[in-house]
Amino acid sequence: MDFELLEEQRMLQDTVRRFVRQELLPLEALVLQRDTQGLTGEELLPAEVEERLLAKAKDAGLWGLDVPEEFGGLNLGALPKCLATEELYKTITPFTFPPDAPNLHMLVQTCTPEQRERYLLPYASGAKRSAIAISEPGAGSDPAAMRTTAVKKGDQWVINGRKIWISRAHIADFLIVMALTDKEKRARGGITAFLVDKGTPGLVLQRQIPVIGGHAPWELVFEDLTVPDSQVLGQVGQGFAPMQLRLTVRRLEIGSWCVGHAQRCLEMMVDYAKQRVTFGQRLADRQAIQWFIADSATDIHAARLMTHHGAWKFDQGEDVRQEASMLKVFATEMATRVADRAMQMHGGMGMSKELPLEFMYRRLRPMRIFEGPSEVHRWVIARTLLKD
Amino acid sequence: MKILVTVKRVPDPETTIRVKPDGSGIVTDNIKYVINPFDEIAIEEALRIKEKLGGSEVVLASIGTKVVTEQLRTGLAMGADRALLVLCDQELDSLAVSRILAKLVERESPQLVLMGKQAIDDDANQAGQMLAAVLDWPQATFASQVQLAADQASVQVLREVDGGLETIGFSLPGIITADLRLNEPRYASLPGIMKARKKEIKEIPVAELGVDITPRLKIHKMDPPVKKIGGKKVETVQQLLDLLHTEAKVI
Repeated sequence: MDFELLEEQRMLQDTVRRFVRQELLPLEALVLQRDTQGLTGEELLPAEVEERLLAKAKDAGLWGLDVPEEFGGLNLGALPKCLATEELYKTITPFTFPPDAPNLHMLVQTCTPEQRERYLLPYASGAKRSAIAISEPGAGSDPAAMRTTAVKKGDQWVINGRKIWISRAHIADFLIVMALTDKEKRARGGITAFLVDKGTPGLVLQRQIPVIGGHAPWELVFEDLTVPDSQVLGQVGQGFAPMQLRLTVRRLEIGSWCVGHAQRCLEMMVDYAKQRVTFGQRLADRQAIQWFIADSATDIHAARLMTHHGAWKFDQGEDVRQEASMLKVFATEMATRVADRAMQMHGGMGMSKELPLEFMYRRLRPMRIFEGPSEVHRWVIARTLLKD
Repeated sequence: MKILVTVKRVPDPETTIRVKPDGSGIVTDNIKYVINPFDEIAIEEALRIKEKLGGSEVVLASIGTKVVTEQLRTGLAMGADRALLVLCDQELDSLAVSRILAKLVERESPQLVLMGKQAIDDDANQAGQMLAAVLDWPQATFASQVQLAADQASVQVLREVDGGLETIGFSLPGIITADLRLNEPRYASLPGIMKARKKEIKEIPVAELGVDITPRLKIHKMDPPVKKIGGKKVETVQQLLDLLHTEAKVI
């Protein structure tokens, strides 16, 4: 067993660390200011700033980390991607190396040669942005209960229904829409994925719903949204498994988000403990604070090992659904604990919007809900273990 | 044009340095090492010259144990072509370093040697100057701008000196040491990192060079910097003057 990172993995880590230090950390004050003004999601960074960052990232070859080489990427796999993601989450400045989401893994598995050209390649290089529409008002953690339908008419599909909590729907060049094509079979052969271009008639961006943590996902309505047969992504009825793969990758990624944020909180705690004096004593000399720090460091260490292991196992081509669920529960809850301690020991400054703690605290909270709440993941973990 | 760039492995300036209780050195456990930041600027300058001229080669040179491979690999990932590592596990003073480097220059015959103006660990600021003396080559230290002549036979270097700027020129071959404002080094790009894997790092045992590396300089003791004591506020200018006179004894 070897826990040592490879030389090039460490070098990647160094490069991203430096990118964060030089490009992203100086933007935190701006992000906090815009957050205070009520801006959310992509608006937290001015468009021209994001473009400049994307250009710098491209110059340094920091994109397509886990994109297969045949699609112009570096095919480094999940572990290097998770190392880079952890570094990116040591700041609150929202920035991702393209492509923008784990939809990659779904597209790679399913795209036809024409779809590759139109969607996968521009998406992999960051030229097109994507979103995925899974959840519905009555079907969140249980996507198999979805009610959105797609009915075949000639060589067209007519989609009707409603989706909710769809991130980035307004800026996506295309959406992956999950719909029922067989009400009896559902998750076992009755759910199909469709590629829907921005501006397709019948695609209604109903309303944006601001939520905690600087997000504002959308509710979408499909009114006789019609797409040709060529927009079916993968096999008809077989959309569920590629979607599950995408969710698994996202859960591994959430592990890195949490480790990054928690690590930043810990670093802030250590710095502050040594500076701040109350009643004639440094915080660092008080046992309550020492326990905050020790427990946080231990928490982070465990989550980091789980994240690296999950990513490594994924790279071996193995099924990591169980590990991803465990990681999702543990990492999101551990980061909540760490951020809470950090805020507590920073006192008044911890509450203020002048430090990034308050923002991180809010940003972490919904991570225990999206991509499956902790309770559902615990149930899944137990169900797997208790299976006869 | 062939450019030789020297690289020293130094503790990351972002890490906290602690001196060992017995003053024999610094605590090296859990310290992260990086390329000396001034050397990184030298690498960047060499790469810019190479990109401008085409048909050039940038060769890195370092001295130390195998661990230095990590820093050389980073330099290769930035875009240098190959590297030389003189294997030596002995503490070296600036003179020994410059003598070893001189041997490498003899072997490689570069037209230009680019170095950091000093290493941020011991801040000796001597290797460049001594190398110029050992080779009897011209030198321009503390460069903030480097202008190569069109015929590539000479170079003009802008130096930031006390009270202004100084421009000096010399015929190549020669030595330039890089100052902070010469350029902003690039990131080791991801494709660069992948390519660096295949680039050569040639290891040369120091004995093979036949250089006298007997230390002429000995570090007797290291002390941590004196802790800063907080200032105090005074009410009036008169009070300030009194204290400067009686307590600080500066006026």
